[in-house]
Amino acid sequence: MDPTAKTGTDALETVVVIDDDYAMRFSCGKILAKMGLPAETFEDGARGLAAVAAAKPAMVIVDLKMPGMSGMEVVSRIHEIDPQIIIVVITGYATIDTAVQAMKSGAYDFLPKPFSPDELRMIVNRGLERRRLALEAQRHEIEQTMLKRRFVTFVSHQLRTPLVAIHQYLDVLRHLDGSADDPARRQEWLDRCLKRVEELQDLIADWLTLARVEGGALVKERVKVDLNQVIPGILKSYEATAAAESVSLEFFFPDGPVLVAGDRNCLSVLFDNLITNAIKYNKPGGKVTVSGARSQGEVVIAVADTGIGIPEKYRPFLFEEFFRVKDDLAKKATGTGLGLHISKRIVTEMGGAIEVASEPGAGSTFTVHLPAWREPEAAAGSPDAEQTAIINCR
Amino acid sequence: MSAKVLLIDDDSDFRAAVKSLLESHGYQVLEASSGHEGLQMVLEQKPDVILLDLMMESTVEGYGITYSLKYRDEFAEFRQIPIFMVSSVEESPDERFPMSAEVDLIRPDRYLTKPLDIPKLLRLLEEAIGAAKNVAV
Repeated sequence: MDPTAKTGTDALETVVVIDDDYAMRFSCGKILAKMGLPAETFEDGARGLAAVAAAKPAMVIVDLKMPGMSGMEVVSRIHEIDPQIIIVVITGYATIDTAVQAMKSGAYDFLPKPFSPDELRMIVNRGLERRRLALEAQRHEIEQTMLKRRFVTFVSHQLRTPLVAIHQYLDVLRHLDGSADDPARRQEWLDRCLKRVEELQDLIADWLTLARVEGGALVKERVKVDLNQVIPGILKSYEATAAAESVSLEFFFPDGPVLVAGDRNCLSVLFDNLITNAIKYNKPGGKVTVSGARSQGEVVIAVADTGIGIPEKYRPFLFEEFFRVKDDLAKKATGTGLGLHISKRIVTEMGGAIEVASEPGAGSTFTVHLPAWREPEAAAGSPDAEQTAIINCR
Repeated sequence: MSAKVLLIDDDSDFRAAVKSLLESHGYQVLEASSGHEGLQMVLEQKPDVILLDLMMESTVEGYGITYSLKYRDEFAEFRQIPIFMVSSVEESPDERFPMSAEVDLIRPDRYLTKPLDIPKLLRLLEEAIGAAKNVAV
């Protein structure tokens, strides 16, 4: 996506060789050229460093024992120019100690003389690979920091928006007092303020749930949960809301328990989200149908509505944080933009999957696949099965 | 004729509050709930001042609008309309894009924070419209 995100494999990686020995410069240059690496060679430290500063190579190969500026000094100067440059030092047998010292001051590796072309190639490849990884990590870190910063700005905006609306209403009401007060407007604004307070409460509640799901605290618990009990409970709690919207609720489950392994709270949040959405984005006279089935080691729950549907272009973003469909039809419903994101997180953490099918104007169906509950083998059939499972999973 | 203020903001509650406030002070208030709608309204209604929300639909759309109004050819005759940028996030364009020469391209005439300080807003509107009138004379 981002052209600058391409790693060093595509960028030209140049190598600078600094050695007072002509034969050494010549053969290193030749081997590197064969590897497809542009190489520049220099016979003393001062000229080599000037080239390093100008060209910012990927790697510098430097002889430790040279007249004039010592290799050791060159090593320490290179990292002042760019700490990401990989330094390989060349040394005679007699100066292994110096090589170790050079590595302590930042060299990546050393090549004892004499060395074969293969040894040089190996060390160069390893060094460049290491540099790519380091650059990649650095880029990743920068991206993360940027993302976090943007995210903080975004969240504070989300939290402030309702607060600002409330504040502005109250401020204007106070300002208008006496001069242009209008009781009907005052009442309407107070109602709006209450709505916005609720919005803020929902946002904070969803935010907390998300933080807990992300922290893994809620989903880690794996107990035996019967969806044939949980879901009817949720449906019952929304009877009044659905009736107010003239939406009917239907429930089709097989007889007997429909068991999954999970956290009761999370499962409630999950189906609560899907069912409220199905009511909220429905049409008067519409229907919400929750059906369940056991199928080959998993449990499949479908929450279907006969509502406004989701245009295809929005579907890829549906489960993203703070995403909300921007069509006029959907805009009327309030929401935090976190519900489906949280739902997906919960399902994923439980090892399941969630998918959506939708037809604009006709309705949407969210289908959740969850791994079915399996009795722990040792404790199978024992009345302590549930207790054992909790301990096992912690 | 009363001065026209165009409110571009995606929060209908914020618009409702500011609209009533400004109307009670004799302004004519036009509303737009998106940047696109706002630009359209500039062309059609030629407002005297624009109150522009920075973050709409979760992006910093306000900057794009400012740029359009100040630099795009089709808005050439509206270039002088003062833009008051409004945001709840305390971040000026200079903070958001540090050291970018392009910041000047998206710089509004004023930068105000939400919730609006009412006496200050009324004073600034009066100044801006007064100044425009002097130019016209």
